[in-house]
Amino acid sequence: MAECEEEVLVQRVVKDITNALKRNPSIDEIGVIPCPEARYNRSPIVLVENKLGVESWCVKFLLPYVHNKLLLYRQRKHWLDREALVDITCTVLLLNPDFTTAWNVRKELVQSGVLNPEKDLYLGQLALTKFPKSPETWIHRRWVLQQVLGQSSAGDRRRRQQQRDEADAERSQQLSEHLARTLHQEMKVCSDAACRYPSNYNAWSHRIWVLQHMARGNIKVFYDELSSMRLWVSMHVSDHSGFHYRQFLLKELVSELSQSTASSTSSPQHRSSSVSSSSPVPFHNHANGELSGGEGGEDEEERQLSFITVLQLFHQEMELISDLIQSFPGHETLWSHRRHVFFLWHQWRTDQQLSNDGGDSTLLSDREAGLHKGGAQGCAAQVGEGVNGQCPSEAMEVEGASLPDPRDSKRLKRGVHLPAPPSLPSEYTFISSVLDSCCPSEQRRFALSYRKWLDTVIVQQP
Amino acid sequence: MGTQVKDVIIKPEAPNALLLDKHADYISAYGSKKDDYEYTLSEYLRMSGIYWGLTVMDLMAQLPRMNRQEIIDFIKACQHECGGVSASIGHDPHLLYTLSAVQILCLYDSVDAIDVDKVVEYIKGLQQEDGSFAGDKWGEIDTRFSFCAVATLALLGKMDTINVDKAVEFVLSCMNFDGGFGCRPGSESHAGQIYCCTGFLSLTGQLHQVNADLLGWWLCERQLPSGGLNGRPEKLPDVCYSWWVLASLKIIGRIHWIDKAKLRTFILACQDEETGGFADRPGDMVDPFHTLFGIAGLSLLGDEQIKPVNPVLCMPEDVLQRINLQPDLLS
Repeated sequence: MAECEEEVLVQRVVKDITNALKRNPSIDEIGVIPCPEARYNRSPIVLVENKLGVESWCVKFLLPYVHNKLLLYRQRKHWLDREALVDITCTVLLLNPDFTTAWNVRKELVQSGVLNPEKDLYLGQLALTKFPKSPETWIHRRWVLQQVLGQSSAGDRRRRQQQRDEADAERSQQLSEHLARTLHQEMKVCSDAACRYPSNYNAWSHRIWVLQHMARGNIKVFYDELSSMRLWVSMHVSDHSGFHYRQFLLKELVSELSQSTASSTSSPQHRSSSVSSSSPVPFHNHANGELSGGEGGEDEEERQLSFITVLQLFHQEMELISDLIQSFPGHETLWSHRRHVFFLWHQWRTDQQLSNDGGDSTLLSDREAGLHKGGAQGCAAQVGEGVNGQCPSEAMEVEGASLPDPRDSKRLKRGVHLPAPPSLPSEYTFISSVLDSCCPSEQRRFALSYRKWLDTVIVQQP
Repeated sequence: MGTQVKDVIIKPEAPNALLLDKHADYISAYGSKKDDYEYTLSEYLRMSGIYWGLTVMDLMAQLPRMNRQEIIDFIKACQHECGGVSASIGHDPHLLYTLSAVQILCLYDSVDAIDVDKVVEYIKGLQQEDGSFAGDKWGEIDTRFSFCAVATLALLGKMDTINVDKAVEFVLSCMNFDGGFGCRPGSESHAGQIYCCTGFLSLTGQLHQVNADLLGWWLCERQLPSGGLNGRPEKLPDVCYSWWVLASLKIIGRIHWIDKAKLRTFILACQDEETGGFADRPGDMVDPFHTLFGIAGLSLLGDEQIKPVNPVLCMPEDVLQRINLQPDLLS
């Protein structure tokens, strides 16, 4: 093809892509359509039901052309106006999203106010539908999200300086809602990429980053994530990264709850630029979003409640893993998850014993003593004199399937049945039951390896 | 009932002898016959691509077949005002390509071709308050970049310009319960990140901070029945992960914990008998990246037709002896 002919064609295709995206803001996926030859007088850009396709014949010269144009601009050998830069980087990145320098050009456009950060998040989202692992796309997202967070915390500071009038309060709420929406959207992008590519390290480590930066200390968001992940991991039993994310959530929740156990007066605080749990968050409602913030007199109850919640989290997690291991034998991921959860439990229990003299640790050892005597099957043991020195007048079962509702905390005074936490004997019993059943050789190998891990890592260490 | 193990089956007719000449021909011809499109797609990592090609040529004692002057001129043209080096001309500078450039210049014993003081300033400027390193001025944090920073400085003999204690503190904060490391605190253990972090701790003299038995255990569990190694549980074996896991085991003194003969069989089966080069798995398309890690892996396994490779920097030992750099290894 002659050079100028090629230039005309490429410019037309770049415009077609830009226009398609402008006219159809609901495009949700991109792809290349296998089509070795051009069909006369028809654009290679095809839009069908929110899916944007590029015919493969044109990619081979479209990409080198836009790529080289951008590099010439970067070397100041060719001038491009801002609009052309936005269009060209868009085409380049949809075809080759690991071209770091093209994302950097867009960062500069965001900084200079030409490009709306949300638009850039959307472009990345589209690129991830075709390239769900693309490290540079995830890296760029984190940068853009930091701009969004930066804007909102600057807003926070301004508001603190000004007197709060009605309009201001309204604006503040809009901002939190905005951040909550961004967070929700980000979780969706991560889920989508995780479904497109198994054990997608970049997607899951991004999701962790997002929670660490946008929802730190927000117990409600962590609970919601944990409960929505339950179904996901059950349907992706080989996805080590998905399970790691669950381990991360569990660890964070246990640590937040333990902080409130240690100093019950401090409620989980939120950083100024994070999504705050007191704002109307567009997540499905969970009764146990707020675990603290009560009056001083309720501290002890809250402490107990947090403690029981931790036991319950571990109990439910072990039940889930046991179920999955038995339903889907031979998955290394599930056994690895079991190791991690047991390790977390072991570590938490050790920390509790170190930080408490009497109190909960008595409760804990009573609980464990019961397990040792009664074997792993006992699912509830009564809290006796261990809690607060109060005798239970009436036993209450804490529902096994859901977490305790703080509104129920008054009932704690009357005593509860504690959920069964993991224990070494119950782990050994579980391993024996797997080995005794007729299971595939892989399952056997993983069970034996788990036993060896318990023997060396847990038992032999103090 | 049961699940098929995620692994490959090595066919009886798969290559089982090392085809050194074929690999040298493959690398020396690479680049000369690529079309525009292919070139464009991978230009963003060109500098690393050159490092892979040159290092594998040097390990096979074939470095003189490459065009030394052309490559050095190219690197010079890729150094930016800030001191950092980019993947190619017109691209933005980044720590990843700064390390690759310095590695190449060490192979050619011509580090002075670029402004070394500026490289050092660039790296120093990327260290953050918590000790971590950003990959470039835009601020992405990753333990990979901590490795790039100290590896480059070690090769230049300028380690003392950064806050090493803080850098170590950050990398250790990325250690997980299984003894492994992830890209940031709280991230999943990953063989590639483990290689970077053990390499980092070796270069900073902090290997005693690793729980070698626990980490060694996790790394050994990466070996699959085919002999190949994967990078995380339930992933397929891959020649590049075979290198990262093997090099990490070597660094922490636990290489004898895996079945070396089976791994050798797997790596050899990933060669392409016709074109030369190694692929990620038997039967797939070859590339320079997997060719380097295939050859380097065989070197670590003791193949005497290949020069000894250093497990920390993935460079020939004789090059490191020349610049008097001997990273620590656990025994």
